[in-house]
Amino acid sequence: MEELQDASIHHMTAKVIAAIKNTKSYEPIYKELQKLVCNPGVDTHDMRNTLEDAIKSAGLETEIRNIVFNLVRTRLSRTDDKNLANKQGAKPTVSDPLGYLKRAGVLWDRRVRKSLNAMCTELKVPLHGQPRISADREDFMAKWNELSNYNMDLANYRPVYAPKDLLEVLLSLKGPAKTTENTDQIPQWEFSHIALPVKNLFELRAHYADLLRSDSYLGVPDLTIQCQRILEGRHAPMCQQFLKKGCTPAPYRGALWASVLDSKLHDYDIEYWQKLRNAVWTTDHIVDKLVFKDIQLTASNDDQYFVFEDVLYQVLLCFSRDTDIGGCVEYEAFPVKGKTYEGPPSGVVPFHGICMFAAPFCYLYDSPVNLYYTFRAFYIRYCHRLTTINTHPQGIVSLCLLFEKLLQTYEPQLWSHFRELQIQPLRVVFKWLMRAFSGHLPPDQLLVLWDLILGFDSLEILPLFAIIILSFRKESIMQVASLDSIEAILADLSSIKVLPLVQLALSRD
Amino acid sequence: MSMRRQTSPLWNLRQKCGGSCTSDDELPEVKIITQPINGLHYIRSRLRPPRSKKSIYYSTDWDKSALVSNFQKRGWLQVPSFNGEWNFYWACTQNCRYIFGIDHPYRMRSDQVINHFPNSIELSRKDLLIKNIKRYRKDLERRGDPLAQCHPPDTKLGIGGTRYKHLDIIPMTFVLPSDYQMFVEVFHRNPASTWIVKPCSKSQGVGIYLVNKLSKLKKFAYDARTFYPQINRDTCVISKYIDNPLLIGGKKFDLRLFVLVTTFNPLKAYLYKEGFCRFCTEKYDETEIDNVFMHLTNVSIQKTNQEYNSIHGGKWPLQNLWLYLDSLRGEGVSELLWSRITTTIRHSLDAVAPVMANDRHCFEVYGYDIIIDNNLKPWLIEINTSPSMHSTTTNDRILKSRLIDNVLDVVVPPNRLPDEHWDKTPSPELLKNFTVLRPISPSKPQMQAPVRRKIRVSKKKKSKCAAASPGGSSSNPPPAEGESSIKRSNRAGKR
Repeated sequence: MEELQDASIHHMTAKVIAAIKNTKSYEPIYKELQKLVCNPGVDTHDMRNTLEDAIKSAGLETEIRNIVFNLVRTRLSRTDDKNLANKQGAKPTVSDPLGYLKRAGVLWDRRVRKSLNAMCTELKVPLHGQPRISADREDFMAKWNELSNYNMDLANYRPVYAPKDLLEVLLSLKGPAKTTENTDQIPQWEFSHIALPVKNLFELRAHYADLLRSDSYLGVPDLTIQCQRILEGRHAPMCQQFLKKGCTPAPYRGALWASVLDSKLHDYDIEYWQKLRNAVWTTDHIVDKLVFKDIQLTASNDDQYFVFEDVLYQVLLCFSRDTDIGGCVEYEAFPVKGKTYEGPPSGVVPFHGICMFAAPFCYLYDSPVNLYYTFRAFYIRYCHRLTTINTHPQGIVSLCLLFEKLLQTYEPQLWSHFRELQIQPLRVVFKWLMRAFSGHLPPDQLLVLWDLILGFDSLEILPLFAIIILSFRKESIMQVASLDSIEAILADLSSIKVLPLVQLALSRD
Repeated sequence: MSMRRQTSPLWNLRQKCGGSCTSDDELPEVKIITQPINGLHYIRSRLRPPRSKKSIYYSTDWDKSALVSNFQKRGWLQVPSFNGEWNFYWACTQNCRYIFGIDHPYRMRSDQVINHFPNSIELSRKDLLIKNIKRYRKDLERRGDPLAQCHPPDTKLGIGGTRYKHLDIIPMTFVLPSDYQMFVEVFHRNPASTWIVKPCSKSQGVGIYLVNKLSKLKKFAYDARTFYPQINRDTCVISKYIDNPLLIGGKKFDLRLFVLVTTFNPLKAYLYKEGFCRFCTEKYDETEIDNVFMHLTNVSIQKTNQEYNSIHGGKWPLQNLWLYLDSLRGEGVSELLWSRITTTIRHSLDAVAPVMANDRHCFEVYGYDIIIDNNLKPWLIEINTSPSMHSTTTNDRILKSRLIDNVLDVVVPPNRLPDEHWDKTPSPELLKNFTVLRPISPSKPQMQAPVRRKIRVSKKKKSKCAAASPGGSSSNPPPAEGESSIKRSNRAGKR
């Protein structure tokens, strides 16, 4: 048994080492190490111990630990899945219960890109972008800090898709037909036929146990002092642990998020940002227009975020040119016949409301560079899963399924009410889930919710929170009989406090 | 049974004023000379037995949903204002002045309450406000009050133009044309400065412009040469322009805050915790002084810009400002700024308290316009006695509706008719979103960082400073307002 453990640790270590060698930060750390070896404190006869001590005192240990933490979270878990998938053979077997879901995911991606391509041909614009004419470029560069004043004729552009389009596709997902069951009782739109594994409330409670534990022991230091100590330690898992409390003091939130998402700025990051910016200046791409249109339709009109529209333009334009994103984001792999379409450089086709993912970050960071890297990491890890159909346990499909199951189990009255009215309950909450409540909750509460997402590294809190809101407003909902009135009841979330509601949701029933 | 006097020559004037007024902020002033209340001769007093039924009658000159919905929510019944049957009257300033004027046929009953003080132009007219604040400063200095502490004589004058450490709540200001010569001297000492000219009695940003050259003020130079410059409609004030405002998103903004005053003697004032920031539509550039869209934050001006967005109206909730400042400028910044703002407001009210006619039938809701500069110092720009209850956006409407709801809870004692003999001490739970503006204790000036909210309860003597944090509710019951420092109540009692 121990041998197996040792073997697996050894195996893992080898993988981690291989992965570290591929990161950008490998070179600077290696150079630091070489310098440390020359340190008089390091003894060649007792290399291992003295070198370790030297590493610890130089603070290099924390950096290395953080790198390992992030690698394990992001790339290594993915390569595992890929290897597994490859071992199962290139052809998916018919018995794969989720095959249809993966297929739907690929089809959705393709449909979105096809739509983008169609828009390009309709407007006679090349998909890969064309160089800007110099007058336009000068204008663009001059107005870089106030892009809200940059005039563009956007009448012919419309967003590629909106949350409701994704919702329609999700609702129409049909599993393999089971003719033996009596399908009259089950409405066509339920998700419960999808065989994705989702947690139930007990498992959720176990996962979110830290939220329910109250720090009532004596001698608790002030939250701010705790924060400062944690940030001095720079240890990413500790930062993540702190975020689980849900009461982060505002001045430290930016630093904590950057630490957890590993988006600290190095020189090469700043250079890369400038490279992206130059790419935006020199090339004109159709996604630019889509980004402008999206911001004008959403963030500029939102009375919580309109102040930051100029920064949002910069961030999202650079985001759309960032080819690294395509490499980091997970896509479903499923062979489907048909043409494949190309997408924008980042691989992400902007949809209606994508800028709302970036908007809350404007409260945390002053400079666009900082904002950009943290937002990018957040998007890759969490937001992207909300926008595509996939089998990931935190993908939007799983979240919808979790929502339905929780609603069915713990709010049977509401569930039957919805059924009588023939309204899918998902219709009411989907826009919340897809945008992770951005634009619906006031910024200070939204940031608390996203603290919890980062702290527990899971998007499952979104359906849980949606359920508790519905449950809170249950009486009003039970009294009305139309989708519009239900939406009116749920329109104003400004008085909702996230932390007490989530604790209530987890502790009752 | 009404007490109308249809034959009164002023009945027509009443009718004209009695229609619904729809403009923002204060209407242009009508020349009605007011006299102190004590000298009024009433034509006849109305003898009416106290009403046996409990319903409250209200009148309003403003047909705004923020007001009317709150009245109706309480089951109050509307009556026309000229009848005088009302218990509660939300009036426009002209009508209020008329009611307090010598020509008014009757005086108010003890169960009537009106929403303006008779001479609140002492606060809202810019030249009178300056005069009151300057007099207040001199009084404190003469008495040797520590609040009137000054910086050493060799320090450079800041935007406030004075060396007061705590009392420089307004930028340096002169009245034109009477103080023209003084202004010219100061101007020559700072030739590169920018000044802002505002007509004394107008509102909505009308007639405001920026100057940085004396040549633009020729007409005042001419007026100043006459021997008796009269206070007339063309009187203006000229203030040092705050050219380093705090910018967010590159744009200038000011704060609109609401203050409820129920009595001036003793001074009972409450600051509403919610408010909004009004943003300009164009990015700030201090060299372009002719572009009103980047300098003047009045909604009525910004509305005319093409860039104006009517969905959010350039209004940003105050909570977002606190979140932004806390996240980006460090800990406790929003609390510090809030305490500075409360002190500034309290000083302004203390300044006019001695001259205000403290009629027990009155209360007033003021709209304070405050600008924050880059050093997080608030500057008082102006005070409006009729802050606009018009809503441009949904959030705006919700805020104003909640404000009026809260105001009515505080002003009208619960489950009773308005009563002029009530001591105007609302029970603490009715204060809800209001912070009490406590008297400023001279021993603990506000500029230091306030006591931070700690998780454990501090057993130390609570400082009397108004350091309520912006986010939480005021947990301490307000002390009886008369418990201010003895000096203050004596001074207030003199007039």
